[in-house]
Formats: sequence, structure tokens, C-alpha cells
Amino acid sequence: MIFETFLIYGIIGVAAGWLGFRWASAWRRRKEGGCAGGCGCASKIQPKK
Amino acid sequence: MSAAEPGLTVALVGNPNTGKSTLFNALTGLRQRVGNYPGVTVARKSGQCDCGDGLKVELIDLPGLYSLSAASPDEQVVIDALSGHLADDRRPDAVVVVIDATNLLRNLFLASQLSELGLPVVLVLNQADVAAEQGVKIDAGLLSRRLGGVPVVLTSAWKGEGIAAVRRAIAEALRLRIRMPAVEWPALVEEALADVSAGVASDLGQTPSRADVERLLFDSTTSVGQRLGWEAARRDAVIRAARDKVRRAGYNPLAAEPLIHYERLRKLLEGVVQGGGNRTGASAAVDQVLLHRIFGPIVFTGIMLGMFASVFWLAKFPMQWLSSGADWLKAVVAPHLDGMPMLQSLVTDGMIGGVGAFLAFLPQILILFLFVGILEDSGYMARAAFIMDRLFSWCGLNGKSFVPMLSGFACAIPGLLSTRTIEDPKARLATAFAVPFMSCSARFPIYALMCSAFILPKYGAGWESVVMVGMHCVGLLFAVPTAFVLTRFVLKVKPQPFVLELPRYQMPKPRDVLWRMWQNAAEFVSKAGTVIFAITIIVWALTYFPRDPAVAQRVRAQSADAPAEVVSARIQAAYIEQSWMGRFGKSVQPIFDPCGFDWKITVGVLASFPAREVIVSTLGVTYSVGEGAKADSAHLRDKMLEAEWTEGPRRGTPIFSLAAVLALMVFFALCSQCGPTVATLAQETGGWKWAVISFVYMTALAWIMAVVVYQVVLRLV
Repeated sequence: MIFETFLIYGIIGVAAGWLGFRWASAWRRRKEGGCAGGCGCASKIQPKK
Repeated sequence: MSAAEPGLTVALVGNPNTGKSTLFNALTGLRQRVGNYPGVTVARKSGQCDCGDGLKVELIDLPGLYSLSAASPDEQVVIDALSGHLADDRRPDAVVVVIDATNLLRNLFLASQLSELGLPVVLVLNQADVAAEQGVKIDAGLLSRRLGGVPVVLTSAWKGEGIAAVRRAIAEALRLRIRMPAVEWPALVEEALADVSAGVASDLGQTPSRADVERLLFDSTTSVGQRLGWEAARRDAVIRAARDKVRRAGYNPLAAEPLIHYERLRKLLEGVVQGGGNRTGASAAVDQVLLHRIFGPIVFTGIMLGMFASVFWLAKFPMQWLSSGADWLKAVVAPHLDGMPMLQSLVTDGMIGGVGAFLAFLPQILILFLFVGILEDSGYMARAAFIMDRLFSWCGLNGKSFVPMLSGFACAIPGLLSTRTIEDPKARLATAFAVPFMSCSARFPIYALMCSAFILPKYGAGWESVVMVGMHCVGLLFAVPTAFVLTRFVLKVKPQPFVLELPRYQMPKPRDVLWRMWQNAAEFVSKAGTVIFAITIIVWALTYFPRDPAVAQRVRAQSADAPAEVVSARIQAAYIEQSWMGRFGKSVQPIFDPCGFDWKITVGVLASFPAREVIVSTLGVTYSVGEGAKADSAHLRDKMLEAEWTEGPRRGTPIFSLAAVLALMVFFALCSQCGPTVATLAQETGGWKWAVISFVYMTALAWIMAVVVYQVVLRLV
């Protein structure tokens, strides 16, 4: 029972943490001028000033 | 040129609809990377091209453009990329210009302009087979000689003909660095260009490139001056004086460039092109019907209806196989977790049940994208944009708006990014506001679930297709009046002409269509495996906990005489009702009560705000918690059909009545339920103001229309 509870809360924690991390990353990408569209693009190409 | 020389890049440019992407696919195979130029253009596609003898180059597919006079942000990126003015992206080592062999003169204008960049060039005369069919004979050797030995290759990328010759030509262009001779300007125009160059040199202390000088002299909208940091007043004075010289040469300064280039190209093509009287032929004949004022919209509606009917029909069996696969998996996994009921519920009800419910729609999504790909590649999508423009241009949307709006039917994000093709910032904003209304593929699963569970069994396959098409049109019906108010009264957009090149009809290339279908499928599956999977676990936890044993004891005490199965069902219902999600759903449900949503649907609606597809997996969890391996997708539909109101004036009536089902679909058709879309809208409009307005407006509209639909249908049926 303890193992099961530990496992369940672990899974929930990982899922919630991963979602939070993903949304925070998208937010940061957008702030840096990147794409927040969830397309996974890593390009950071912007016009030179 | 050493085979080991690293980092060579070659840019692929050309007019739209020249078969550039098909050539790109043929040259790179499936070794491609797709990304975005954030803040700059729609997409940055690159791939590795093997040019033989161990020479491998990075091929970059740039957006199509007609000239170097950038009118829109996506055209600007091509110019910036070719001239090496993009940060983190160096100037390409060579340019492959893709030219429609059936329209050499117009397509060569871009190549002629590109000659000023001083890059090695390869001219690819694509669709050579079509040109031959039209009786056009092209002497590629003569054209190459007249262009100073620039490689000229005749290809048919669609048929895969001439691809090896293009690879060899790229290698040759890189090795010999053959540049296309620049245009010879009349003396006074040449003087004007020299004046502008001298002005930049004296004011900024740097010698500008020839291409930059030409943009400064010939374009009224160029951003080169700002990029160079040339002070506006001084710049205007120098350019005004230089343009006066162009006038003295007998040219309008803003029309001089194409006139002089075309003069040169006509001479260049003398004897190169022969024949070709029947250019339009079969396409024009087909367009007589497909673009007809009356028949055009009828055929368009017929194609859409046929497409959705086929999607349902073709996907029926694969969907059953996927559902059976999920059920089999549950049946296999469940016995291994018998001693751990909590984990068993998480794995079977949550993970397999939730994600399985979502993945079951993969066949429909695949078939939908297959049809969309066929329509795009056959040339019909451009006709669809033309028909839509004629139907809706009264609302003040720019004609170019319909391409982003059509993209929005797949996903709002590329649709929003492609608004960058619209020159007028106000028209761009109005279009960006309208795009999220389009019925993206993420809405598809909820329509499909509701139609297959409630419309098909009661009203048949015909009505199922009608409802599906109707739901795809609901967004458009509200986007158009919204755009009308926005463009006429808020933004006051000036009407702009819509120029759309209608590509020739052609047989879609299976490899290209299947490749795009695969990309979309991969995205769908990756979403199921990541975001949907994680949200499903959270929703399961919120629906499962707290699990107080006193609840079960209380229900058992109250149901002493009931059969064991009934007691078990009552216990599960009591657990769900007192779960965190149950409590939250019940507290918020009064807001959605006028729409006919019970607390479980309310939970699904609320959980769907980050991504609307979540509704299906959420319903999959909320309706199957505690059911374990029994909870297959047919079981989910049965549970939804059995669901009844347990209290209030509707007690004993089905929750999923026709009114509630239609209201739910209308709510999803109109509501702004996609975090990335809201973020992208903020990014594209330069702040959160319009993103927040769009979110509030769409959500309020969705709620109002859901109430109207529910209340009206409830009274009528």
C-alpha cells in the first residue's frame, strides 16, 4: 500500500512537474522572441538590428 | 571544391507555385528539418542534399516570392536570408532559382533581380514536361550561354526527372562560382544608383551592396534604410534627387526596375523559347465550372461534404482496431495489478482509457490530412480561396486573409504565422483575430465523438456529415461578421486588391501528400504521448482522490437490499462526486447549466482550456473511473448515452440530449481553448491586448451561442 501510494504520487508529481516545466519553457521562449507555438522549433533567427 | 569542405548552404528560391517544395523534397529526400523563423517568416525548411562525389550541402527552402521588392514580412525574410542579414544564418553559398518552364519570362524577373546579389546561380526550369505538352520548346543550352554559363537544368520534379542534373549543377555552380550577369542599366539610371551609393558611403562611412542600393532607389516601402541606420531626412533627400535622374532617363522611378529587367529578358529569350500558343488549355476549361459564380460554391460544398463522409467511412474500421487494441491492452495489464486497485485504476482508467480515447481519432485525422493534401497539391485549394474571397470579400477582410484562414482549418498557429504575408498591418490584425475561429483539427475529436455517439445512431450517416460540415462552418459564420465590425468600425481597414495566382491542376504526388500526412500524424501521436498523457494523469488524480473509505461504508449501509453490482456502481458514483474534480465541477457547473452541461462535461470543458483535445480523454476518465478493464470506447459511448440528470427539473432525462450535444459542439467550435494559440496571437500582434480581447470575446460568444442552441433545440425537439 505504501509502495503503491508512493508510486502513484510520484507519477502524478512527474506529470504535473513536466507540464509546468513545459509551459514555463514556452513562456520563456516567447519572451525571448522565439516561437511559443509548441511546434518544437529551436530556431532563434531574427533580423539583425 | 573539396568534398570535405564543411557548412555549405544553398538557398532554393522561386515564385509561388513553381514546384519548389516538390523539388526540395526530391533533392533532400526525407532528411528535412522544419522550424520557424520566429518573428520573421512562416517556416524555415532545410535538408541535406547530396550533390555527388561526397559533396553534401544544406539546402534551405525559402518562401515563394515574385520579386525582391518586399511587401510583406515573409518576402522580407527571403531578401534578408539571401543577403546575409539574418542573425545566426549566414549568406548562402549559392542560389537555386526554380522557374516555371511554362512561364519563363515572368519567372526570370526574380532571377534577373537576384543577379545583383553576386551569388553563384543555378536556374531550374521546372515543369518542363508540362511546357512540352503545351508545345513550348526551350533551348536550355542557348539560355545558359547567354547567361554567361550559368547552369540551366530542365526538370520535372513531380516525375523525378532531371533531379540528378540539378545535383550536378549545384556542385558545378559551387565549384566554378558562376554568377548570372547583372542587368545593364541606362546611363542616367546607373548614375542615380551611384548617387545613392555615394550618399550612403558619405553619411554612414560604409559602401552598401549593389542589391541594397537598388532597393533604396526603386522601392518606396523598403526597410533597407532603417537596417543601415540611414537618417530618414537625409536619406529622403538623396533618394529624391536620384529618382529625378531616373525620371530624366524617361522612366517612372518606381516602375523603372521591372521595365528595364523585362526589356533585357525579352531579348535574352529570343530564340530560347519557341511555340506555346495553348498555355491555359484544360485548366481553364475546368475552371469554367469550378470557379463559376453559382456552380463553384456548389461544387465546393459538395467536395467538403464528400470529404467528411469519406473520412468517417474510411476511418470506421481502423478506429475499431485501435479501440480493440486499447481494450486488449487493458485486459492484459489489469490482472497484473489486481493487488493494487489504485494503480490499476490509474493505468487502465487514466492512462490507457484517456490516451486511448484520444488516439482512437488518429485514423480520422490521417484521412482528413490526406484529403487536404490532395486538394492542396491538385491546385484546388487556391480555387477554394478564390471562391471564399468572392463570397466574403464584403466583410472587409483582405483577399490574402483566406490563405491563413484555410491554414487555420488544420491548426490556428501556422494560420496566425502566415498572416505575415499580408502587407497592411490592420488587415493582418483583423485576419489574426479571425483565424482562431476556424475549426482546427483539435476540434475534430469532440465533433467525431458526439456525432458517432449521438447523431449517427439516431439520424444516420447523412446527417452525421451535415453536422460535421456545419460545425466546420460555424466558426467561419462568426468570423466573417466579427471581421466586418473589426475592419469597418474599429480598425478602419482600407480595401486592398487580392491577387492570387491559380496554379495549374495536376495529379498530386503520393510521396509528398503521404509525407505531410505522416508529419501531422507524428505531431498528433507525440501530443497524445506527452501533453495529453500528462493531463490525463492529472485529471485521473483529481477524479480519483480523496478516496475516503467512509463513503463506501455509507453507500453500503444505504443500499443494504440492492444487488452487489448496483451497490458497486453507487459507490463509484459517490466517489467521483466527492472527488476534487467532482466538487470543483459541481461548484462551477451553474455557469454552464444554461448550456445543458452537467458537472462532468463542465470538468471536461474547464480541463480543455489549455488544449481543447483534452475533452475526449477527460470524458474518457470521468466516465470510466472505477470501471477498470471494462471501460472500452464503446463502453464510454454507452455510459454517456445512459447518463441522466439526477436532480432538478431535468431529473431522469438524458444529459446528452440532441440539444446538449449540439450546444457542446458549438461551444467547442467557438471557444478560445488553446494556450499556444493565445500566446501566438499575443506574439503576432505585438502584445497581450488583442490576445486577451480575442480570448474573452470568443469564450463569451461560445457560452452565449451554446445557451442559445441548447435552449432553442430543447424547445423544438
